Amino acid sequence: MQDAKIPVPPIGLTARYPDVGTGPVPTDAYHEPAIFEKEMEAIFKRSWYMIGRVDQIPEPGDYFVYEMPTFRQSLLVCRDRDGEVNVFHNVCPHRGNVVEHRPSGRCRGLFMCGFHGWSFDLKGNLANVRDGEGFFDLDKSRLALKPAPMGIWEGFIFVAPVDEPAQTLEQYLGQQGRDLAGYPWSECTQSYQFETEIACNWKLAVDSPAEVYHIPILHPNSAAPTMMASGNPFGRLLDVTLLGPHRTNSHYSVQAEPRPVQKLAYTHAAAAQNVVNDALEYEMPPGLNRTRDRNWTVDLVMFFPGLAFTTSAGMYTAHQVWPLAANRCLYQQRVFVRRARNAAERFGQENTMVEFRDVVMEDLSTLERIQRALDSGQIKHFHYHDHELALRHNHKVVCDIIAAWERECAGQPADSAVPEWPTHP
Amino acid sequence: MASTPLPAGFETLQAFTAHWVLPDAAARMQQRQNTDMQEIRDFYNALTPMGDKALAYLAQFQLGELPEDAENLLKLMLSLAEIAPAVEWYDSREVANGYPVTRIRFLRQISDTAAQR
Repeated sequence: MQDAKIPVPPIGLTARYPDVGTGPVPTDAYHEPAIFEKEMEAIFKRSWYMIGRVDQIPEPGDYFVYEMPTFRQSLLVCRDRDGEVNVFHNVCPHRGNVVEHRPSGRCRGLFMCGFHGWSFDLKGNLANVRDGEGFFDLDKSRLALKPAPMGIWEGFIFVAPVDEPAQTLEQYLGQQGRDLAGYPWSECTQSYQFETEIACNWKLAVDSPAEVYHIPILHPNSAAPTMMASGNPFGRLLDVTLLGPHRTNSHYSVQAEPRPVQKLAYTHAAAAQNVVNDALEYEMPPGLNRTRDRNWTVDLVMFFPGLAFTTSAGMYTAHQVWPLAANRCLYQQRVFVRRARNAAERFGQENTMVEFRDVVMEDLSTLERIQRALDSGQIKHFHYHDHELALRHNHKVVCDIIAAWERECAGQPADSAVPEWPTHP
Repeated sequence: MASTPLPAGFETLQAFTAHWVLPDAAARMQQRQNTDMQEIRDFYNALTPMGDKALAYLAQFQLGELPEDAENLLKLMLSLAEIAPAVEWYDSREVANGYPVTRIRFLRQISDTAAQR
């Protein structure tokens, strides 16, 4: 099955992007609280964040609550009678309690605050005030639930964490977003979601899967057999494409002999797997497998700062890193698979999730150890391999945006070195 | 009649139902961490050779329409998915030199048995 003639992917990715440089990278931005505070203003508040999918709320009245980390905002997402998806701050304008305290469900038409019973319809209008005659000139039309800036891309619901977003969702997603339209995102209707709080800087968690130089060493028995087999002993990438603040890694793979339980899943439940034996039922969008290599397996599509999709032909995952402090973040992972066409395929879904989860546990193992070396001053520079280009780019984007923001604060022209990232003139 | 029945032909797996028929993925993850490696290997060695037969049997059914015995068989197979890396990758219930899986929280899971659309 393995073809000895498969060429080793070459060195030379970084040379395609001379602005990114090749020198050692200082590590201050990975642990300095003062830099984290600048990132909050210059980056996080100007970004957009994925909080779920429209298919979580298929029917009018369906809702879910999302507790958005970093900004500590409780958001209420619902579908109204017109079929529109609305996102409100989940805060009762009377006294600030949450309007909906359950994580998800179906609302009959009114959300009622569990504190004093004010209620709101699916469009957020204040519908009822208990014992309203006791209030003083209450203008109900001005006491609706406050909408959060939101947008939908390929079925994903995004919000901005500030009232007046620095850029539109389309601007934020940029070329990389446009290049991914048409992938069958909504076919993977079944999902798992898990999270963990990690004592590390958000960039370490973002960078963790963003290079595969580590694959043969950190994942010797799990991912390595497919990603480094045959002609690719170092597990090199097929391609890295940098697009504004975003970037995509294309991963090489060959079909290795599966382990016994994996083989059961491939044989009986392939539809739920990332292995697709059948012809694709859709046209591969330009943003996936950009080199159209036949040894392609999956792209890591990274939207700066903290969202990334691992996107293969048949299924995908989405992870998000939510910054909490200079050396703390929340890591959220969602695994999306196609529906099981019979009960045996349910096994394939579970196999996919467990394998992926355990590989992620391997990835995450290094993060708190690295952070300790950073916080204690034991490492002052990182030294990046050609195929660790995505990490070098991440650092450069952060530094360039902060530099532009500092010029902006000083009243100087704030031309950013990062195309597609907003500045305030 | 066993309180956790299995379909005819799968009687040899009966002894494993008490420990490995569990409510959901989070419970299975916990159970792997709470079970010693020899017990995990015994379960793997008993179930893996019957995997083809079990999945062929389960493929006759739609989720949401599973008889109780088939549901129990599916849940055994889902536990096999959970423990397989312990045997095939790590020779350890934990991810070798890994981040502790006990630090993750599930926020959403796929139902083991409900119909999917």
